[in-house]
Amino acid sequence: MEDRLEHRNKRDADIEALRRVYRQCKEAGRAAEAHDALNHLVELDPTGGTVAFAHRERGKLGEMGGRPVRIAILSSYVLDPLVPFLDAECRRAGLTPVFYVAPFNQYTQDVLNPASGLYAFGAELVFVALDVEDLFPAIRRVPGVDELSSSRTEIRATVTGLVRELRARSTALIVVHELTFTGSSPHGILDNRRGDGLSRWVEDVNRDLAEDLSAQAHTFLMPLRQVLARAGSAQEQNRKLYYMARMRHGDVALGELARYSMRYVKPLKGLTRKCVVVDLDGTLWGGVVGEVGPEGIQLGPTAPGIEYVDFQESLLNLTKRGILLAVCSKNNPDDVVPVLREHKHMVLREQHFAAARINWRNKAENLKAIAEELNIGLDSLVFLDDNPVERELIRQMLPQVLTVELPRDASQYRSMLESLTDFELLALTKEDEQRAGQYQANRQRQALERESGSLDAYLHSLEIRAEIARAAAHHVPRVVQMLNKTNQFNTTTRRYQTPEIERLVASADHRVYVLDVADRFGEHGLVGSAIVCQEGDTWRIDNVLLSCRVMGLSVETVFLKRISEAARLHDVARVVGEFIPTAKNEPTAEFYRRHGFQLVSDVDGVQSWAFDPRASRIEDPTWISVKTAGE
Amino acid sequence: MATIEEVVSSVFGVERETVNERSSPETVEGWDSMGHVNLVAALEQRFNVSIDIDDVMHMANVGKIREILASYGVQG
Repeated sequence: MEDRLEHRNKRDADIEALRRVYRQCKEAGRAAEAHDALNHLVELDPTGGTVAFAHRERGKLGEMGGRPVRIAILSSYVLDPLVPFLDAECRRAGLTPVFYVAPFNQYTQDVLNPASGLYAFGAELVFVALDVEDLFPAIRRVPGVDELSSSRTEIRATVTGLVRELRARSTALIVVHELTFTGSSPHGILDNRRGDGLSRWVEDVNRDLAEDLSAQAHTFLMPLRQVLARAGSAQEQNRKLYYMARMRHGDVALGELARYSMRYVKPLKGLTRKCVVVDLDGTLWGGVVGEVGPEGIQLGPTAPGIEYVDFQESLLNLTKRGILLAVCSKNNPDDVVPVLREHKHMVLREQHFAAARINWRNKAENLKAIAEELNIGLDSLVFLDDNPVERELIRQMLPQVLTVELPRDASQYRSMLESLTDFELLALTKEDEQRAGQYQANRQRQALERESGSLDAYLHSLEIRAEIARAAAHHVPRVVQMLNKTNQFNTTTRRYQTPEIERLVASADHRVYVLDVADRFGEHGLVGSAIVCQEGDTWRIDNVLLSCRVMGLSVETVFLKRISEAARLHDVARVVGEFIPTAKNEPTAEFYRRHGFQLVSDVDGVQSWAFDPRASRIEDPTWISVKTAGE
Repeated sequence: MATIEEVVSSVFGVERETVNERSSPETVEGWDSMGHVNLVAALEQRFNVSIDIDDVMHMANVGKIREILASYGVQG
């Protein structure tokens, strides 16, 4: 008891100290540090009061220039208090959020009226939070079978209809909260034995919604019951909040809800991390293999050891959605390789790792080398290491890397990993499922490159095959995914979402091309896309992008050759390629010049490069065999 | 044990010295209807009480809060 009191006093003192730091930074006009102090403050004290304080203060500080995100909330109850919690989460992810909350109980009018505040706001993401008691008040008073059945149909029609209207007027990502019924059933333990039981009814309604919403593009059903379970039922049954303020969720639940919401925000904004770099001793198994040998480490079906097997399984699961794994360990390779190859209880084997640095060098150097080898940014890495000294080093040296505070207790590893919101995809494509294997093939390619005498000989020996086609509906998920996560080979970094790409694919004035690439080591899959806007006698190339995995092979030339040929066929006078420089797309800067385009204007950061398709031609590289599907 | 002034100061992020018996929604930034809900939650947690809604509605300033909490046997 005394210990707990002491702990609380220390925490209070820490919070007070952070507030002082914040005030000092604010008064001294050091906005960046002030924002940072607020980030720490809400992490240490995630109560409604402090989170709302931080949110108010952000408005007074100069903005940090993080990427903006526009989020709208439509709700049948008072959900305004979620805003400061979501604000805190967005800031932690480096985003600068702007919010719109529909006026109390006016969500329907907001959706149906094209001139409403919701549409004027221009949301990128809309959360729809309807409470079952608001949609169906009779649920509180023992509804009969008929009533349950008709209200089930009604709720389905209401929610699906609302989403359909919203979709027709907005390209936003729509996230609908699942319905929850948190009260006790009036039937007690008989509830799930009866046709008019409420738990089964809620399941049915949510299944209806899942079915309807999964048929709609860019629309999700958030598993709210799972989210609220993390907050604990005591929080959720705080009816007083509802009586006092028409609120449904307390602080802890709002914190969980905001955190879960980031699983939608992050992939939408291209913030999904691509690779998890793990340490070995103390992280993938217990003990130090160099000291106790392969048979001495803790790893197996019983404790201690089972917690590491469990953790490895969770890491393996990430690879199924295209997240890469890499090893960074201070060890002698000779001590480690036998474990990776032969230990009976290892879940992760050599082939699961896209890159490895097992040596005694500084881990910051090793992480940089891993990022370089995989051709991804440091801001795509997550670093898991049980050693706090290594974590601190990476935090200091490479702040772009997400360094996770791994719990002291290994039995918490798995749940910690699964609570991270950085690995979500809005769609799973064939390329994601095959990614781990593709990096294997990459290692073989690199071996070949080392053996080949010259770059030219290497490129020819790869036997590259490229197939270019006009995008069809089934290509849309992959095209959208690439548009939102490709940073290096991306001429304009214009980010489009599913509804916009669906429109462009169907439009007669636009051409969306997709490029499939394969070589002797296997398929790269759909790795490139280009968008052309046909504007009279000018064709404007709005964007060309290429996955980092196929950079350096000149496959991008295939796009310009097809586009310029099609333009010539249509007797178009000018093809104009646009280039917008960013911090990361330097590799694309010379793209148009290399292909004979001339810089004709450079206005507001947008360069226009022109090409006359009737006067000049572009040829495919000799080492690529190109197949063209359609025109 | 925390005082009511400390709770008000920490919920609204204002300096402890600026909070007095007459501090109210009119004088403290952030003490709006949502802020009031947060304040009540913090008071309940800090003093381990559950405050009746009627009392919540009458917590118009720090002095009044002190009076009401006293009726729950809390000396803040």
